[in-house]
Amino acid sequence: MTGAYLLSQIVNGLVLGAMYALIAIGFSMIYGIVRLINFAHGDIFAVGAFAALGSIAIAALPFPLAVLVVLLAGALVGLLVERAAFRPMRGAPQVTGFIASLAVAIILENLAVMTITAQPRTFAIPAWLGALVPLGSISVRVVDIAIIVLALVLTAALVGFVRFTRTGMAMRATAENYGVARLMGINIDRMIALAFAIGSALAAVAGLMWGAKYGQISPLMGTVPGLKAFVAAVIGGVGSISGAVLGGFVLGLAEVLFVGLLPSEFSAFRNAFVFAALILVLLVMPNGLIGKSTETRA
Amino acid sequence: MRNWISGLAAVAAAGLLSTAFILPGAAQDKEPINVAALYNLTSGGLSSLDAPSFNGMKLKAKMINDAGGILGGRKIEITAIDTKNDTRETATAAQRAVAIKGLVAGIGQSDSTFALAAAPLFQSAGIPFVTSGATSPDLPDMVGDQMFLVPFGDDVQAHAMAEYAYNTLGLRNVAIWTDNAMDYTTGLTRYFTERFTQLGGKVALEDVYMTTDQDFSALVSRLQSTTGVDAVFASSGPDTAGIIVKQIREAGITLPILAGDGFDTDLVLSVPGEALAKDVYFTTHAYAGIETGPAQEFRAAYQAEYNTAPENAFAALGYDAMGLVADAITRAGSTEPAAVSKALAETKAYEGVTGTVAFPEGKRVPNKPVAIIKVGGGKMNFETTVTPKG
Amino acid sequence: MSAPAAFLLRFALPVGIGAALLYAATLSLDPYSLTILQFVGINVILAVSLNITNGFTGLFSLGHPAFMTIGGYVTAILTMPATRKTAMLRDLPSILAAHEWPFAASLTAGGLVAALAAVIVGIPVLRLRGHYLAVATLGLIFIVQSFAVNLPGITRGALGLAGLPPVTNVWWVYLVLVLTLLTCWRVKHSSLGRTMLAIRENELAAASLGVKVARTRVLSFALGAFFAGVAGGLWAHLVTLIAPGSFSILLGFQLIVMVVLGGTGSIAGAAIAAVVLTLSTEWLRPIEEAAGLFGASQIIVAVGVILVLIFRPSGLFGTAEPNVFGAFARRRRHAQSTP
Repeated sequence: MTGAYLLSQIVNGLVLGAMYALIAIGFSMIYGIVRLINFAHGDIFAVGAFAALGSIAIAALPFPLAVLVVLLAGALVGLLVERAAFRPMRGAPQVTGFIASLAVAIILENLAVMTITAQPRTFAIPAWLGALVPLGSISVRVVDIAIIVLALVLTAALVGFVRFTRTGMAMRATAENYGVARLMGINIDRMIALAFAIGSALAAVAGLMWGAKYGQISPLMGTVPGLKAFVAAVIGGVGSISGAVLGGFVLGLAEVLFVGLLPSEFSAFRNAFVFAALILVLLVMPNGLIGKSTETRA
Repeated sequence: MRNWISGLAAVAAAGLLSTAFILPGAAQDKEPINVAALYNLTSGGLSSLDAPSFNGMKLKAKMINDAGGILGGRKIEITAIDTKNDTRETATAAQRAVAIKGLVAGIGQSDSTFALAAAPLFQSAGIPFVTSGATSPDLPDMVGDQMFLVPFGDDVQAHAMAEYAYNTLGLRNVAIWTDNAMDYTTGLTRYFTERFTQLGGKVALEDVYMTTDQDFSALVSRLQSTTGVDAVFASSGPDTAGIIVKQIREAGITLPILAGDGFDTDLVLSVPGEALAKDVYFTTHAYAGIETGPAQEFRAAYQAEYNTAPENAFAALGYDAMGLVADAITRAGSTEPAAVSKALAETKAYEGVTGTVAFPEGKRVPNKPVAIIKVGGGKMNFETTVTPKG
Repeated sequence: MSAPAAFLLRFALPVGIGAALLYAATLSLDPYSLTILQFVGINVILAVSLNITNGFTGLFSLGHPAFMTIGGYVTAILTMPATRKTAMLRDLPSILAAHEWPFAASLTAGGLVAALAAVIVGIPVLRLRGHYLAVATLGLIFIVQSFAVNLPGITRGALGLAGLPPVTNVWWVYLVLVLTLLTCWRVKHSSLGRTMLAIRENELAAASLGVKVARTRVLSFALGAFFAGVAGGLWAHLVTLIAPGSFSILLGFQLIVMVVLGGTGSIAGAAIAAVVLTLSTEWLRPIEEAAGLFGASQIIVAVGVILVLIFRPSGLFGTAEPNVFGAFARRRRHAQSTP
């Protein structure tokens, strides 16, 4: 094994991790604020991919405008889902919301299959995104760099928003304690809706990036990345934005190195490895890498 | 891209069509001929093979009915049951199907595991089951005398590719990527390796993945760092075909890519794009690259019916499965399952879109020609046809 | 209801009536309806046993499909004719390959291996709570599936084990069903059951009163897994096939829905929800086929689930048992529902 081989695998892992990170942020935000594992999150990721396909391939929008459309589409579906399925059952046991989110996932997937079929579709991107850039002993594609940069920029913007704006503070307060936040005059309905909107918008952008990198999307594409992003969120420490990002990169890296460094017959165990890692992390560090340990996870 | 609209239109059309099939037609006085279709139409990966197959099958039935039906004007009536990518659903669907009064035959499935969930129930009911897309050559032995394949067996296409690679392309050392989550792909790899090493070739690297994987970067890097590889044999289904070519080529690897009929999908061209989709060779059912005869007629009819080109070879196979069954019914002159099954087994030369179907004595896997396609210049180019020795 | 005699009497009559009805069903129903009847029974076994883990003890497990897969494969490997085993499954230990077990023994073995797996996995995993446990058990499904796919010498890989002897019938399914109900009922109304409920309601309080929390959790997890394993075995020999993808996340979801709709902790509720959901999916199917809208039935069920969650969040029965069983046995007992 050469250094270049290791380096290229590390880059592979980082790119995959960046996409996990973006999906994981949404998971983490929503979990942080309403203690809900939103199973439909992976399908919103797929919605984003199709919104991108629609705006680039059908409506022929320029790329930056397409990103905007994707963000809006994700936010809109997120809001819709929150309004229809989660708001009416707020206050119910956690499990209720979890099941509702599974139901929403099934509805979204079947609607997609009924209207646009489960056929995978080609996702064409501008040629310059596919160009190879030499980087020391290896070469990297522009799209890979773009993915990592975009993930980091969006994360930084989000962290800034949550930390330094009034709305961001209100969101944190809501996450900390519903009741007290409400007493302080914070409109918690709006905060929860906002968390859904932002989280879903980021997942939708991840869908766009996924399409751009792999060139193919399908209505059922969200299931596995969605679950893995959840694992990433847990590894990082659920509820923490920077934790979700860290978790995403760690998981992407671990997954690729698992496949890349072990003999090839282990490659097919990569999903098993991801979930085994989840169980392991939860046992050793129940609060994740940088999660807070304020609550007993009951 | 009008696929969304056309998708909706197709759903609506399918709705109208199947209502028309199920409700007793007004002008239809003769007793219909009942055929069951068992396909994974929703939920999961197989629907990208099964849905086109089902469309092909419906198209053929419609064309036969429009042309006046068979057995003196009797119309074919399809009862479609969605098997939902679930073996339990498949088994109960089969049970429902065989309970249909006067059922002549069942058609369906593109994966051996699912064919094996359905076919035994047809076998014990004494009704023929014709799989349009499951290619394991062992199926008839596992199920019994009511099990028929429309496609060639995987052994045939894998051997054809191994010979083509070794003799024509002069390749000696291959890397093999296998989708471990499908029986089709693991079988293909086994048969390819068997013949390729027999010829004197070597397998330099074996890597495996699962159907749901989309990130092949780790496998690509390993391939790149392995020396002495002349080509990659990608044993893949259609869902990962385009992605694999794209990711291998994008890394700057120019080795020839070899594959089976899982690569017979437009995704192989469109996902990598014209510049990267080159030096890809795959075996498929002999309609690709043929611009005349039944193949052309099929393409045009499919385009007209569904407003899209056939998605992959499975559409043609579904079309042929329906045609083959109708042909057997005509030859049997009866809708008795036993008679139809006998006629099916005696098929000597059914002119299908995917080649001439002939069942050798006592075998229910057809000897059909294998087409070898080379992808390049934004097109699927027909290279040659290999007819296996029967 | 401490006396076993009274307990059995409560069950003897409904079981007798049930047996008579089943006999009538075997005579009058077509094979398809009979199969559905068996799947209804299997789903009741699954929902009721999942209820031990999720309902009684409050462990939110999605792992039933994983245990069904384990139980199904073990049962299938044991019942398979020895000649086929040696030909098809190269890596099977010769002790297993040489013998062919009777169905009852195979089912029990399947259940026991599933339970053993639950104990091994449960000791570390059950330290997790709520959502975390849900995702960890969901991961278990992926892990078990990966092994089923990638150990072809034992499982025949992606193809699965086909052509199993079709030994499952209505009688087997409903025998196991009665045993499951009986076990659950006894557990729920025993000190063990109260211990489980105590853990669900307030773990710390239970622990402070000397309840061995960890041990009880593992026990309830393993008990649920045992029945899942047996149900997996029944399922495999009804479909006559088991493949790595036979038991999916979707199934895990459907089972959870049954437990929650029935009322977490209610045996009768889970059973009734299992019956209703299984049958309604069957009934919706012809409509979906006639309309050509494949997938519509799943949407309808999912929307129904959300509506029930909104308007009846504690499920149909809560933790209580409705009086149907009491009425059925003509021996109305008063204090049967747990507090």
